Amino acid sequence: MRMLSCEEVLANLSDYFDGECSSEFRAQLEDHISKCRRCRVVFDSTGTMLKILVDVEPFEVPLAVSARLYSRLQEVLSEE
Amino acid sequence: MTEASQEKPDAAEEDLRLIERVLGGDRQAFEALVRSHERRVFRVTLAVLGQVEDAEDAMQETFIKAYRHLKQFRRESRFTTWLTRIAVNEALQRRQSRKDHLPLDESSPAQHRDFPQRFEPWAADPENLYTKQELRELVEKAIRSLSAIYRETLILCDIEGMSAKEAAEVLGVNIAALKSRLLRARLMMRDALSASFEQPRPFGRRVVDTAAEVKNMMGMVLMRVARR
Ligand SMILES: [Zn+2]
Repeated sequence: MRMLSCEEVLANLSDYFDGECSSEFRAQLEDHISKCRRCRVVFDSTGTMLKILVDVEPFEVPLAVSARLYSRLQEVLSEE
Repeated sequence: MTEASQEKPDAAEEDLRLIERVLGGDRQAFEALVRSHERRVFRVTLAVLGQVEDAEDAMQETFIKAYRHLKQFRRESRFTTWLTRIAVNEALQRRQSRKDHLPLDESSPAQHRDFPQRFEPWAADPENLYTKQELRELVEKAIRSLSAIYRETLILCDIEGMSAKEAAEVLGVNIAALKSRLLRARLMMRDALSASFEQPRPFGRRVVDTAAEVKNMMGMVLMRVARR
């Protein structure tokens, strides 16, 4: 199996996480990661970051913003 | 795109039931529809516009348009996708008309650092290091540190669960550009969060790193000396 360069691993990181790599390329990438500490760190923490992003559901609607939305909609909808 | 951000199928069915009721003249049903989507719409308009006041206006217009055009909603796509498209368009229009609109140049110097820059492993379970509220604040701060093109790409793909193709379409960029933005956005986010999530540095490895650094510095010193 050809050893990928760190640049190739990095360039294809997104496609790997999005499931868009061929199984052959996936295997090459995983092989590189098992042998290269820096790429492994970037790979693992990027995966963790993606999970955290979904878990925390950032940016709540501020209460006042939400209240103004409903009163505006009430106004507009009652005119239609 | 991460699967966890996908809506549950029953939520999509509930949307369809509510839409039927709205089309039958039930305004209460529209309010229920707004409740289940306001957060997503706000996040999307905020992603594009970067400011709460602008995001608020765009969110209001999004729901008004959605109400007025609900008959045109075709069931072959999810309501969520349809609504997100309206929200992105609304926000993009506002950004274009804004006098101070942000430079969209991908090669602006602040964004041209090479990523990644940090290579220390993260703690095994970094979410346990913080309360849910602290965690959210850390993530929001990191997202705010991204410039608009990266912020909107990250939010659409990695929070709202759009595919790269869908996100490219709504943002009006080609898929190659979208993908390269997404990769940079993810790497910048990772770097921005690293300081908060890296595991405490074990003393032993630090010594090894230091030894390598010293060797490297010695090499540079010797080169400088040799040039004299
Ligand atoms: Zn590597």
